[in-house]
Amino acid sequence: MEKDTKSPLEIPNEVPDFKIKTFDQKNWISENLHYKKDSGSWAWILHRITGIALIGYLFLHVYSLSPLTKGEIAFNQMMQSYTTPFFMVVEWLLFAFVLFHSLNGIRIVIVDWADGAKYHKQLYKLSWVLGIILFLAMGALMFSHEIKMLFN
Amino acid sequence: MLKYKYKSSKDSGSKSWVLQRITGLALVVLMIGHYILMHYNPESGHTYGAVLNRMQHSWYRIIDLTFITLAMYHGLNGIWNIFRDYKLKQWAKLSIISALVILGLAFTAWGYSIIFSIPYINSVAGAN
Repeated sequence: MEKDTKSPLEIPNEVPDFKIKTFDQKNWISENLHYKKDSGSWAWILHRITGIALIGYLFLHVYSLSPLTKGEIAFNQMMQSYTTPFFMVVEWLLFAFVLFHSLNGIRIVIVDWADGAKYHKQLYKLSWVLGIILFLAMGALMFSHEIKMLFN
Repeated sequence: MLKYKYKSSKDSGSKSWVLQRITGLALVVLMIGHYILMHYNPESGHTYGAVLNRMQHSWYRIIDLTFITLAMYHGLNGIWNIFRDYKLKQWAKLSIISALVILGLAFTAWGYSIIFSIPYINSVAGAN
């Protein structure tokens, strides 16, 4: 037998150098951000963030409407502070959160109950298009007074 | 034989899963109505008079009560669903659930009391 011939069963001397990447728990934010994500992952992350924000807002909403029990003067006074330009912009951004959570929620239901898994990526894109249109439309409605002022 | 189905939990969570979708869809419908009402014009959502007028109709009260109940359930169940993604000790699960339930009940009750505190005015009492 010659030395050079290798049988197929022979174990190679050099083990190929596998670089197994493990999850670095200390830098979990950057690890997660570097991981390539498809639309479904982004939808999941954004659904979560908007959901947490919206339940937080619901508590705030109940609190902020509590002056209704104290009558007209207290309520209108409180409302005046919420109709400042700053709060109106915040309200508009809140609508963006509501929109994303609603449209993506509908997408989830379609995926779960209406065979939407076959076209969930198209649905995701569609929800963004619809969302941006509705967001701008709501902006035009909310700031209709200010827009009129600009052009007069 | 693998027995993973009901490990560390008495139910599979399928009811909460269905309810989360049903309440979600209902909330979308309610939210559309809410946004039209609140932003149809600047006064409709932001003055006491407009709220008082609207609340003379009991249907609006019923809708608002339904809205806050469904939103609280959907929101807090959603928060619980986030916690369910992590492996939690039994005591942690219990304390999180009790905190969420207490928070939900307290704020729902507060919301109800606000809606019920809005008076019916005699001159328009026939409206409901």
